[in-house]
Amino acid sequence: MGRVNEFWESLSRRKISRKRFLKFSLLGLAAFFLGGDLLRPRPAQAAGFNGRMKKSIKGDHDIVEANGDDPFVMTVRAIEEMGGMGRFVKAGDTVVVKPNIGWDRAPEYAATTNPMVVAALVELCLKAGAKRVNVFDNTCNAAQRCYVSTGIKAAAESKGAKVYFVDDWNIINARFDYNSPMDGWPIFRDAVDCDCFINVPVLKHHGLTSLTISMKNLMGVCAGGRGKMHFNIGPMLADLTDFIKPELTVIDAYRVLTRNGPTGGSLNDVVDMKKLLVATDPVLVDTYACYLLEKQPLSIKPIPEAAAHNLGSTDINRADIFKFTI
Amino acid sequence: MFLLLFIYILWSTTYPLKGLLPPKTFFLFDPLVIFITSIARRTMLHGIFFCAGMIALTLVLGRFFCGWVCPLGTTIDIAGALRKKTRLLGSRMNSKLRLPKFLILAVILLCAAAGIQIAWVFDPLVIMARFVSLNLIPTLTLALDKLFIAMISAFGLYGWAYDIYRSLKTSVLGVQVIYFSHSALIFLFFLLVVSLALCLKRAWCRALCPLGAIYALAGRFALLKRVVRPCTACQRCRQTCRMGAINDDLTYVKGECILCMDCVYECPSKSTSFKFTLSRHASAVAPGRSGVKGTGITRKSFLFWLGIGLFSTLGFKNKDDKKQGIVDRPDIIRPPGVSDEGKFLDRCIRCGNCMKVCITNGLQPLLFQQGLEGIWTPQLVPEIGYCEYQCTLCGDTCPTAAIPRLTLDEKKSFKLGLAHIDHSICLPWAKGEDCIVCEEHCPVAQKAIHLREENVNGRVVKRPYVDPYLCVGCGICQNKCPARPVRAVRVRPLGGF
Repeated sequence: MGRVNEFWESLSRRKISRKRFLKFSLLGLAAFFLGGDLLRPRPAQAAGFNGRMKKSIKGDHDIVEANGDDPFVMTVRAIEEMGGMGRFVKAGDTVVVKPNIGWDRAPEYAATTNPMVVAALVELCLKAGAKRVNVFDNTCNAAQRCYVSTGIKAAAESKGAKVYFVDDWNIINARFDYNSPMDGWPIFRDAVDCDCFINVPVLKHHGLTSLTISMKNLMGVCAGGRGKMHFNIGPMLADLTDFIKPELTVIDAYRVLTRNGPTGGSLNDVVDMKKLLVATDPVLVDTYACYLLEKQPLSIKPIPEAAAHNLGSTDINRADIFKFTI
Repeated sequence: MFLLLFIYILWSTTYPLKGLLPPKTFFLFDPLVIFITSIARRTMLHGIFFCAGMIALTLVLGRFFCGWVCPLGTTIDIAGALRKKTRLLGSRMNSKLRLPKFLILAVILLCAAAGIQIAWVFDPLVIMARFVSLNLIPTLTLALDKLFIAMISAFGLYGWAYDIYRSLKTSVLGVQVIYFSHSALIFLFFLLVVSLALCLKRAWCRALCPLGAIYALAGRFALLKRVVRPCTACQRCRQTCRMGAINDDLTYVKGECILCMDCVYECPSKSTSFKFTLSRHASAVAPGRSGVKGTGITRKSFLFWLGIGLFSTLGFKNKDDKKQGIVDRPDIIRPPGVSDEGKFLDRCIRCGNCMKVCITNGLQPLLFQQGLEGIWTPQLVPEIGYCEYQCTLCGDTCPTAAIPRLTLDEKKSFKLGLAHIDHSICLPWAKGEDCIVCEEHCPVAQKAIHLREENVNGRVVKRPYVDPYLCVGCGICQNKCPARPVRAVRVRPLGGF
C-alpha cells in the first residue's frame, strides 16, 4: 500500500511541477520577446539617403603633392599646406581614418598603406581635438594577421587611435535618393556615424580596375559578399563614394606596387616613388594619381562614372596643384 | 587545477600563439601517444624524454597522473559526483573490471609493432583535447558573442559597452567564432566516456583507459604506499574508494590507486596514511588469501580479447601503402606539409589542435570520407576557410609532427592541391562578364591565376587561367569566388585525377 501511495504522490508532484514549468517558461518567453520588441529602438523608417552628408570643406589647394624621404614628415607638412587638420576636424569629433589593411603583407611590399602615414594622420587628428580616431578595414586575408603584419595596428595605436576589427553584424543598409546598384548593401555603421572620414589608400596596380586608388579603397567599409561588386565595379564604387563622401583623401604613393597587384609579394614589383597626395576631391586626386603612373584616367572604371555623377572633377589642367619637396 | 590549465592552453591555441605554454604541452607528457606513435612510425618523438620522466615519477609516486593531473579524470570525477550513491563492487568484480584496459593496451602495442597507430582512439588526453577544442571553446565563445551582440544591438549600446566587447574580442573571445562540422558526434563520444561515471565512479579509468593501464603497470612498483595502522575494519575506505582499489579484506591494489587520498580523509580512526617505504608489508592489514594477485588475465581471456581487438583494428585499417587502399584518397585536401597519406594517418592522433588553431577555420574534422580510419583527421575545406599563405600554425601545434613543422619558405612553396576553373560556371567564361576576384586574392607573388584579355562577341573580357606550376592550392580563390551555390574555382588534391 505504501508503495502505491508513494507512486501517486510522486505522480502528482510531477504534475504540479510540469504545470509550473510550462507556465514559467511561457511567461519567460513572452517577456523576452515582448520586452525585446518594446525596448528595441525602432529604425527611422524615413526612406531616402542614409549616407554621410556633404560638408564642402575646401583646402588651400586642390591637390598637394609631397615629395621626400620621410612619409611621416611628408604627411604632416602636406596637411599643413592644405590648411591644417583643424579645418577638417573639430574639437570633440569622431574621426575615421581608413587605410588599406587588406592583405597579410609587410609594408615594404606596398600592398597596404604605409603605417607612418596612418600614424601621422592619427596624431594630427588628435592634436586638432578629435575625441576619438577609429582605424579599421574589412580585410581580405585573416584580419588578425593583416593588422599586425602591415604594421598599421602598432603604428596607429602608438599615436592613440582605436584600432579594431570590423563586426559584420554592426552594419546599416545603404539607401540612396536615386536608383543605385549599391542599394541595400551592408555598410559598417562606424564608417557612416562619424564626423570626419579620412580615406588613406595606397596607390597600386589592380587586375580589374588596373589601378586601385581612393575609391577602390572605400570597399573596405562594405560588408557582405564584396566579390559581387566586381561585376559592376564602376557604378558601384562611384555610388559608394557618394555614400561615404570622404572629407579628405590622402594617397600614399611612397612605395608603389606596379605589377601583380593588389596583393604583390615580390619586391621586384615595387617602385619607390616617394610621393604623397592630399586632396578633398576624391575624383580629382584619383585622376591625378593615374597620370603619375601614366595611365589614362578614363580607363579606370570608377573615375568616369564618378565624374558623370558630379562627385568631383577630372580636369587636372584647371586644378590648383601645389608641390613641395622635403 | 590541471583541467583549468588544460583548457587555458587550448584556449590560447589561436593566432599569435602567445600562450604561456605551447599547445602540445600535455601531449608531450603523454606516454601512450608518444611511445605508440614512435613505435608505429619507427621514430623518436621529442616528448619521449618527458614521458620517460613521467614513468620514472610513477615508479616513485604511483598513479598520481590519473588522480591529480588527467583533465579527463577530473571531468569524470565531476560527472561521478552528480550521483550521490556509490555503487560498491566486490573484489572479484573489481578485478575483472580492471582487465579490459590492459588488453586494450596490448592490442594498441601490437598494432604499433605492426606499424599501425590506434592509440588515439582511447587516449584520454586526446578525447579531452578534442572536446575542449572542438566543442567547449566554440560553444562558449559563440554563446558569449551572441549574448553581447544581442545586448548591444537591442539597447543601442554603441558606446563604452561596444568598446568592452571589442577589447574582449581581441583578447579573450577570439576574433571570429569558430565552427566545426559534425562537432555533435565528437561531443557524443566524449559524453559516452564521461557518462560511464554515472553508472560507476571512474568507470572509464578503471576499465578502459589504456594510459591508465600504462601508469597502473608502472605504479605497481611505486615506493609511495598506503599504510594502515591497526583499525576497526569499518570498511569505510573500501566504500569511498572511487577506483575500487581496496579489496574486501582492506588490502589495496597499488596499480589501481590514483592517490586521491579519499581513504585518508574519510578514515574515522585516522589510521590510514601514505608513506615512502621499501618494505612490502608495512601495512597492518596483510594481504589475505582472497586478495587477487596480479591482473588476473587468463590465457583464454587474453586470446579472446586480442582476437576481438585485432579484428576491429583491421576494420579500421583500409589502406595498403602500396595499393593506396580501398578508398583511393577522395577529394580531401590535407593540411600543408602532409604528403604521404598513410604516414599521416598513422601519426595523427586527432587531438584537434590544428583545427583549433587554424586562423581561417578552414581545417575541419573529417567524417568517413577516408573510411573509418580517417575519422576526425583534419582536412582543408576551402569553402569554409582557405589556407593562409604566410601561416604555419597547424604544423607548429601538432604534437606528433603528423603535420610537419615547416619554415615560412617551405610552407609558401608547399602544394596542397591545384585550383581548377569550371568554365561552365565562371562568370568571365560562361557569361563574358568581368570578375577577377580569384586573381585579385591569389597570394602567390607572380599570380598563379593570371588574366588574359580575350575578345568575346566584340567585348574584351579578362578571363582567369591557372598556372599549375605556380599554384599552391591554398584555396583562397575557391573561398572568395562569388559564384553560388557552386564555386567556379575548386581546389583538388594533387594526383586526385
